[in-house]
Amino acid sequence: MSLQFAFSPRVPVFDANVRVGDLHYQPSPCRNRDQLLAEMDRHGVEKALIYHAQTEEVSPIDGNGFLEEWLEDSRLFPQWSIMPTPDSMAQVEALHEQGRVRNVRLHNMRYVGMPFRPWAFAPMLSWLSENRIPLWIPLPDADADELATTLSAFPELVTVLVGAHYSHALWVRPLMTTLPNTYLELSRIEPLGEVEALCSEYGAERFVYGSWYDRLAMGSMLFYLHHSDISESDLELICAGNLLRILQGEGRHD
Amino acid sequence: MIEEQRVIDFHGHTGRLDRYNGVDDPALVLHAMDRVGIDVSCVFNIFHPDGTTGNDITARFVADHPDRFVGFAYVSPMMPEGMVAELTRAIDELGLVAIKLYPPYTQWDLNEPIWHPIYAFANDRGLAIIFHTGTDPHSDPGLLADCAAQFPNANFVAGHAGNVDAPRAAAIKAAQDYPNVYLETCSTFRTPGVIEQLVNEAGADRVLFGSDIALMDSRPQLGKIITADISDEAKRMVCGGNAARLLGI
Repeated sequence: MSLQFAFSPRVPVFDANVRVGDLHYQPSPCRNRDQLLAEMDRHGVEKALIYHAQTEEVSPIDGNGFLEEWLEDSRLFPQWSIMPTPDSMAQVEALHEQGRVRNVRLHNMRYVGMPFRPWAFAPMLSWLSENRIPLWIPLPDADADELATTLSAFPELVTVLVGAHYSHALWVRPLMTTLPNTYLELSRIEPLGEVEALCSEYGAERFVYGSWYDRLAMGSMLFYLHHSDISESDLELICAGNLLRILQGEGRHD
Repeated sequence: MIEEQRVIDFHGHTGRLDRYNGVDDPALVLHAMDRVGIDVSCVFNIFHPDGTTGNDITARFVADHPDRFVGFAYVSPMMPEGMVAELTRAIDELGLVAIKLYPPYTQWDLNEPIWHPIYAFANDRGLAIIFHTGTDPHSDPGLLADCAAQFPNANFVAGHAGNVDAPRAAAIKAAQDYPNVYLETCSTFRTPGVIEQLVNEAGADRVLFGSDIALMDSRPQLGKIITADISDEAKRMVCGGNAARLLGI
């Protein structure tokens, strides 16, 4: 293979994890939709699933509202954020009635004392499962036992675990084994040889590419995936195919 | 090799990091390097305060693939009486070519006098020293300015370039103020725009590609250099030109 200082992906790319908007302590490098699209173009990214920074920091409800202004483009797809409160559920249910909910994101709420346990989350998870709405869950600060226990109670729910880091390396595999309808997003999978190893053990069908821009730079993991020992068809699945299937409500493996 | 540029990874570990699924299996390490054109990786072992135990591990690791790895020596002021003797052994007998220091494993800021015998050794021989730098107070890269001023013939490398905003700014300032301060790029944070910031503010001739292999795969870490919005000439310097000059290899 001839290596060059320039890189662009050779398969279609649908980024499963992009954050837009400002955190209170960190203004986004992309001030608007055009700048985000330019950054995607620079890295050869065709489409992206986007959520708003305000949803993870303060309010999923307000953040979902701020997300609207980023959506008037056929390349950017909404990821609405949700929490198990009446107001949040009502907002997402209303969007669902409009046919606008293909996935949702649950930010970690342990920092306000709410563990991810069935007694707290069962109604929300039941509703998502019944409506075949896949759920994205960021792993930083998540509790592995809560994830395994709670998601096992909703076996038909498709989930995408986001941002597994080398500090999660010991429990990612047992979790993937325990939860057959769980996918792993790859933005922070950096242990040595881990992409090849995971694909070999679980099949490329269980993974989606996400950059987690603007938390992380957009191009690094795409470069990595394109220089991994996985087949072209597996690369296509990870970079776009699996995500498209998930968003169409066809993500179940069991 | 990328476009005829030899690629040198300035930051790598020997030893097993099983808690993070990072294992220094040479086959895995070489596979990752080969897939993206990394010619040489610099490796060290920081897990033994005597220095000797880890340096021997590093030397054996390098000896199996001497054309692909170069070793750095590690010592710690937790066992200060043996530091210079072990550095002398590691450089002169084991053939290690530079020094790695890890202030978070000690009780001292990196500019305190207890470290100075190491810096004097490097200064006498014109060696490079790479430090872990970051938010830990002992590892504040701004402190490298003190060291660089006192030991002008040694080269001081801020590993991770401080990792996050405030220490990164301090690292850049040290590099701007002293010609013997360099910035190395590996970091799990991978914050957008960092490579561009290092190159634009400190100069492409002061930035070194590093990956943290085998804790992390070298491919995404090289990817952040390749996909950064900097010139190809800057990429050449960062990916290997600067390291070759610094190490004399």
